[in-house]
Amino acid sequence: MQPSISFILKCLSISLLCASIPAQAVTVAQKIPSLSLTAEANYMLGEEDKPAVLILHGFLTTNQFHTITSIANFLHSEGFSTLAPTLTLNISQRRNLLRCNSLHTHTLERDTMEIDYWIQWLQAQGHEKIVLIGHSSGSLNLLEYLATKKPENVISSTIFTSLFYLNGEELGIIPDEVESARMLLKNRINKPGSYHFLFCNDQYYATPQSFLSYLKLDRAYTTQALNTIKTPSYTIIGGADKRLHKVGREWLNELESTPTNLIIIEGANHFFSNEYEFDIQDTILHILTPPLTEP
Amino acid sequence: MNIKSHLTQPVKIYFTALLIAGLLMLALLIGNLYYQTQAIQTSLQQKNQIQAQEEISFALEENIINLTSNLLELAEWDEIRQQIEDPSYYYYWHEDRLKGSPYFKKHYSQLEIYDANKWLLMPYITDNNSETNLPLQITSEEPTVIFSPKNEAFLHLFEPVFEPDSKTILGYIGLSVALHQNLLTEHEFSFVNPDSIRFTGTNPVPLSELESHLQFEPITNSVSNDLWQLINNFTTYVIILLIISTILIIIIFQILFSGPMETLSNYVQQLKKQPKEAAKITQERFLIREFEELKHSIHDYHRDLQTTQNALKTQYKIVWEQARRDALTNIYNRRAFDEAWNELVATFEYNPSNITFILFDCDFFKALNDTYGHEIGDDVIRITAKTIQDSLPSEFPVYRIGGDEFAIILAGVARHEAFDIAKKCLKALKSYNFSGIGIKEKLAFSVGISHLDYQSSKNLRNDLLNLPRQADIAMYKAKQAHQHKIQCYKTELEQESLSLVSNQVINTIVDAIHTGKYISMHLQGIHSVTDGTLYYESLIRVQKEGLYIYPSDIFSVVERRRLEVEMDTQIIQQMLNAFKEELIPQHTGVSINISGKTLLQPQFVDLFQPFLPYLKDYKIVIEIIENTLIDHMEYAKTVLNTLRAQGFLIALDDFGSGYSSIRYLAHMPVDIIKFDMSMTLALDADEKTKNIIIATAKMVRNSGYDLVLEGVETEAMFKKAKQAGATHVQGYLFGKPKSIPSFHETK
Repeated sequence: MQPSISFILKCLSISLLCASIPAQAVTVAQKIPSLSLTAEANYMLGEEDKPAVLILHGFLTTNQFHTITSIANFLHSEGFSTLAPTLTLNISQRRNLLRCNSLHTHTLERDTMEIDYWIQWLQAQGHEKIVLIGHSSGSLNLLEYLATKKPENVISSTIFTSLFYLNGEELGIIPDEVESARMLLKNRINKPGSYHFLFCNDQYYATPQSFLSYLKLDRAYTTQALNTIKTPSYTIIGGADKRLHKVGREWLNELESTPTNLIIIEGANHFFSNEYEFDIQDTILHILTPPLTEP
Repeated sequence: MNIKSHLTQPVKIYFTALLIAGLLMLALLIGNLYYQTQAIQTSLQQKNQIQAQEEISFALEENIINLTSNLLELAEWDEIRQQIEDPSYYYYWHEDRLKGSPYFKKHYSQLEIYDANKWLLMPYITDNNSETNLPLQITSEEPTVIFSPKNEAFLHLFEPVFEPDSKTILGYIGLSVALHQNLLTEHEFSFVNPDSIRFTGTNPVPLSELESHLQFEPITNSVSNDLWQLINNFTTYVIILLIISTILIIIIFQILFSGPMETLSNYVQQLKKQPKEAAKITQERFLIREFEELKHSIHDYHRDLQTTQNALKTQYKIVWEQARRDALTNIYNRRAFDEAWNELVATFEYNPSNITFILFDCDFFKALNDTYGHEIGDDVIRITAKTIQDSLPSEFPVYRIGGDEFAIILAGVARHEAFDIAKKCLKALKSYNFSGIGIKEKLAFSVGISHLDYQSSKNLRNDLLNLPRQADIAMYKAKQAHQHKIQCYKTELEQESLSLVSNQVINTIVDAIHTGKYISMHLQGIHSVTDGTLYYESLIRVQKEGLYIYPSDIFSVVERRRLEVEMDTQIIQQMLNAFKEELIPQHTGVSINISGKTLLQPQFVDLFQPFLPYLKDYKIVIEIIENTLIDHMEYAKTVLNTLRAQGFLIALDDFGSGYSSIRYLAHMPVDIIKFDMSMTLALDADEKTKNIIIATAKMVRNSGYDLVLEGVETEAMFKKAKQAGATHVQGYLFGKPKSIPSFHETK
């Protein structure tokens, strides 16, 4: 596919913009006493009158994942303060991708606690308006945070990108494995094992507790959570996301049926790569612009 | 080529020497090749050793760098910190995750995490307390090498794990690496033989000391190895080949050469030891045709030699017999007698016994011969010989030692027995009827006997040597007797025969003959009628302190004492000295008179050999009397012709005083005929006698002989002598005999 002239012009303008605005990103390391971990996040201070945007990465990645960095840099260039934390996944100051076959002991609950910590940290930094942007499973983490913590007073809006769910046979989950993990957990045997999970296929090496914690986020729970959260939300889905093939395009309808504002960027993949990077940036910016304040 | 005797050795010695020399040279060549190759090999090995040392040092260094780098990378791995912070699932993580991660290399034998206090994060599950395991607590962060009992070396490395962006140590990583495996995995060696790498040690040592515990062998140069192997193989093959070749050569040499040569040598030795035995050819067959031919040649040669020897032996026997048998009588002759006598003399001292010497002589045989002719004379001789032989015991032969003279030597016989034997012989002769051959007179024989009783003898050899002379004297006595025809020698007989000569004269003559003293040789010229040349007849004279002894007395004593040989020997010696002293005038010569006895001596020819050098400047004539020559014509011919061939001239002395048989004239072995003085004087006799003499002289000249006339005392006689045909003349007309300066006095 030949890049269009407008795409090239956009690339040039953003590059010039990034060059003109000095990056003020700092790595913030915070010890989270409740988790006995030190977590890190990239923090870029923006204009005071603009909300702070917390951008959360996807499954097993870090804040250095290109989708995250491009959004963070773009929003910061637009004057927004951004905070892109890296979920520790039970590893202090984790800085690298976690492999499928790495030992996974992290849980959805602990992830939620970390998110909660960072929102509190943003608040502590004086940010009164906080917008959440999640990517893929990061979106699910934020959804779980919103569903469980109900921070409507703090979070002005939430943008879910590539929002799906984690538990479902269509996603490769093996019911027997799930049952087996449950039995282990029931028997207090938290021995790690390899499971079929997401893109890891059968290589996902996790404790039953860790594995099962994420299975909470099944299709129904997700739509249910979307329905229950009070915070305005926007859901951006790449029209060419392969995950749609697995979950079926019905998922879009189901999303439509929730309060979330579904935006489909046709042609974009799960990561909004290539020229769709700008599409998603434009979409996010469009959401965050004042009309957003007057929904 | 002059080859020294010690160089003559058996062929095996030379073959062995050549073989050893050849083998030594080959061994030297091979040894040199082996040594040179070994030097190259050693040089290459040293070079390889250096390269290998550099390579393994580099490999170790690089490994340590890589390991340290890996460890640093590992220390920054999030999951390490994950485990330090929450080691709950350490075992699972360690086994399921860590060992499957790219951080864990295949050659790592152990990778453990320690807490900040340097204690193992989680103790070992199993009772694995091997000395090579990482320690439960880190005591030193320095890299350390641990040795297992199996001489495996493990490098223990420790690296602190820091909190990100901080110098706070969260814990440590401990890594144990099996160095041998690590080296082999991480490096492909070009100069070090991987299989040879060994680590030896017992106690842990710092990494810096590792190389002192490292053993290895360089990879040997394949070309060099191949070459070395080739040389080794070559050397081995050559040695084997040499051994086999040597054995084969020895076997072949033994079969082809040494064996046949030894067999032939033994065969020849056998032939040499037993030359008279029939040579039985060896049955062994040789491979080399030449040896086979040689074997047959030796055999055939020996066979032919034996045949020839047998023929020669037969011939020799015939010749021996012929030489020792008298042609007329077929009994032993003078030669056989001389040999028998000489052998008896030679062996007598060792085997003494009684010896009797008997001489037989026919009285008046010459007159008989002249009267009845030679044929009758010969018959008489034959009959005499046979009769004597028939009368003798079979073990004693009779010898014919002169014309009518026979000798018998009886050994181990007593005096009276010998006398009886002689008597028996004489009786048989007397009783023989000679009228049967036409002799009318009664023949008489004289017998002289001398006897040696060895038990009573004081000088055996001298007494033995005197026997012939004593028998001669006895026979001389018998000849004078008419009745007692057998005479035994006794001392009185010598005195009787010399009664007319004074004892002083006798003693002087005998002394002179034996010692040479008192002898004064005189020379009388013999003049050539034709060319005026001159030579001298040597004449013996004996003088002692004014005592002049007449020549007739000298010859009388010599004859009676049978000293003819001794006198002739003395004369020859005197004349030889005269030549040596240069007392004989140049371009002349001498003639020496020799008796019949001396002529018959076996050493007769030898007596004149010292004169040979003078023959080229002098004329040397040997004079013998006619009777001796004719009586021993055959024998005389042999010895006289030998001397003539050497350059001596032979003169027949006193021709006309004896037989003067004309029939012998043509075949006599002489060069000069000397007419007796009676014949010279006969030129003045009646016409008839004179004519006979002249005719005889003419015959002599026509027969090719020089003719010397003795007794020429007047010019008239000289003239007649010349007219008669004389080539030389001798007599007082030309001067009396003159003495040679007495050399025996000047010596």
